[in-house]
Amino acid sequence: MDAFWIIVTGFLVASSTGMLGNLLLLRRMSMMGDALSHAVLPGIVIAYLISGSRASVPLFLGAIIMGIITTLLIQFFSSKGKMQADAAMGTVFTFLFAVGVILVTKYAGEADIDADCVLHGEIAFVPLQTSSFLGLGVPSPVWTLLGLLALVQLVFWIGYKGWLITSFNGEYAKSIGIKTAVWHYTLMAATSVATVVSFESVGAILVIAFLVVPAATAYLITDNLKRMTLYILLQGLLSAVLGYFLSEWVGGSISGSMAVASFVLFAGSFIWSKKKG
Amino acid sequence: MDLFLKYLTLQDPNVRYVALATLLLGGVSGAVGSFNFLRKKTLVGETVAHSMLPGVLIAFLLSGVKNPYILILGAAISGWLSILLVDFITQQSKIKGDSALAIVLSSFFGFGIVLLTVIQSNYGGEQSGLDHYIFGNAAAMTPDDSTAFAWVSGLVLLLVLGFYHSIKSVVFNLEYADAIGINVKFIDGLISFITILSISVGIKAVGIVMMSALLIIPPTAARFWTNGLVKLLLLSGFFGALAGWLGAFVSYSQVSMPTGPWTIVIISLIAFVSMLFAPKRGVIYQRWSKLLLKRRINEENLLKTAVQNEVRGLGKLFNRRSISQRQFFEQRLWNRTVRRLRRKGLIKKVHTGFTLSTEGRSYGAEIDRRHKIWEIYLQRRMQMSINLVHDEAETMEHFLTPEIEAEILGELGLCSRFNPLLEIHELVPDNAINAV
Repeated sequence: MDAFWIIVTGFLVASSTGMLGNLLLLRRMSMMGDALSHAVLPGIVIAYLISGSRASVPLFLGAIIMGIITTLLIQFFSSKGKMQADAAMGTVFTFLFAVGVILVTKYAGEADIDADCVLHGEIAFVPLQTSSFLGLGVPSPVWTLLGLLALVQLVFWIGYKGWLITSFNGEYAKSIGIKTAVWHYTLMAATSVATVVSFESVGAILVIAFLVVPAATAYLITDNLKRMTLYILLQGLLSAVLGYFLSEWVGGSISGSMAVASFVLFAGSFIWSKKKG
Repeated sequence: MDLFLKYLTLQDPNVRYVALATLLLGGVSGAVGSFNFLRKKTLVGETVAHSMLPGVLIAFLLSGVKNPYILILGAAISGWLSILLVDFITQQSKIKGDSALAIVLSSFFGFGIVLLTVIQSNYGGEQSGLDHYIFGNAAAMTPDDSTAFAWVSGLVLLLVLGFYHSIKSVVFNLEYADAIGINVKFIDGLISFITILSISVGIKAVGIVMMSALLIIPPTAARFWTNGLVKLLLLSGFFGALAGWLGAFVSYSQVSMPTGPWTIVIISLIAFVSMLFAPKRGVIYQRWSKLLLKRRINEENLLKTAVQNEVRGLGKLFNRRSISQRQFFEQRLWNRTVRRLRRKGLIKKVHTGFTLSTEGRSYGAEIDRRHKIWEIYLQRRMQMSINLVHDEAETMEHFLTPEIEAEILGELGLCSRFNPLLEIHELVPDNAINAV
């Protein structure tokens, strides 16, 4: 049963972050996903320290705020501070991440959070925190992740047309009166929330694997956005299953193995797309 | 403070290696980072650094020892592979550069984490310290590490000096470099090589997750102070060295503190301070000079309008209303501008309003003169319509320098004391120009 819940968790993380990764990929902002996943760390630690608990509403709030702050800071540095765009991003997120790591080191004892947790999460502990539902012991992180998946799907499909237009032709979208900035910040906030929710299970650094690789795999196979979504879900499921068994086999980190499995699937679709021409 | 002195004076032999190594590392990566910074490829460092984790671990697995040279070699090889893979993915598929970076970064790092956890559970004491590669721990550096640092720094320095001119051309103008026969591919590879080299030696001290920042932030900070490449390299290296050295001190004074994050916090602070306070390019300087410019424009507009009113025979006395008929001034803006002009002695307060002082009159007349010179220039040389020249001149009058003015007068064939003050808008009508 433990294996089942771990795989379910992996799948939920991959599928919800993958949907957002899809948008990041189309908007050529994949490294922004990397930046956000690093930058929300101080927010997470501070929220832990203040609320004293995990998986709580303040945590999400903290993440959204942190994500927006990061985006605003990057914008400020590049427009007002006249830093070149990539350097502004690199400066902001590495700084925030460094602050996060310092906080983690300093308050490791108090906040129930440590450096390993930052690196690869604690997906193996997911089955330990169960609550009963219909006679089934469902781990609480699964509920949170289900909520995240629902939220991401909702945001994605409600804004489907908006995402489509702003992703493919920002100038055109602006000219017909679509508020591109609103879409931009929604995506940034959603990515931050997804990062924080996934943080517990896969850690701050490996989130990027779940954000980008499933989306890239699907992107190589199809151009159709709806079908892409389906493939992302499928890729998430497969990499969770394969990753879990890989980690059982070699006896290493589960989330790391899932990232490796995910890459293997990406490589597969890469070769397939080359053969197909 | 005592501790800092002890650190500074290198009394503790362990400190000597640490201080030297972090100093070298910060300096070298700051300088090397400048090249990637100028090519706007800073995020490559992020991917390369993360991708080194599996290389270090495989090198350890194969050799069974933590020899710094072997681990550096392993790191460099996997860093190199990651660059090749990114290039391969972008060239062979529709995936764009930044996504390829993210894919390679996360996959290599995920693989590294798997290896690390496997090694941690299967090897005993000899593996301990490998996890330092992730967050960095300068305090754990051995004399061997420092020697390795020194060698690598020397090599990087030699390469940069040896190929300085080619690197410079490639960094600033790829097409030009190609055209004058520089082997662009080779130089491109060379820049990648020194980047990988400095990252691979640095990860033990500052850690994989932080190393990229040491390449990105120093040149970003240095760029606010200079426009020259040599100065940028030196300053960036200096900032990097300073941050590395101070970061190592924090780590040295507080045992559990990792070096990397502190180094990054310090270098970030240097960058923020540079962004705010640097002369010319700093935010505060730019804000301030913008404000000064706005003030000057308002003052000049007021003086000019007062002079024009005098010439039109509206009397020497002026107030907000009489000026605002030609040049609108809001009450608060008026008050502030008048206060400054009075302080400068350019206008005088008389009981019902203001009058120009002698200096104020000649200043205002000068602005009016520039306005008209520019109008005439636009009309005669640029063939612009008489209806358009005024708006253009409204802006230009504040920026014409005496040198430009002299040149324009020369070109128009007017004498240098040309004074169109009395002939307000007596320009040639459009059709007359068209006839010529």
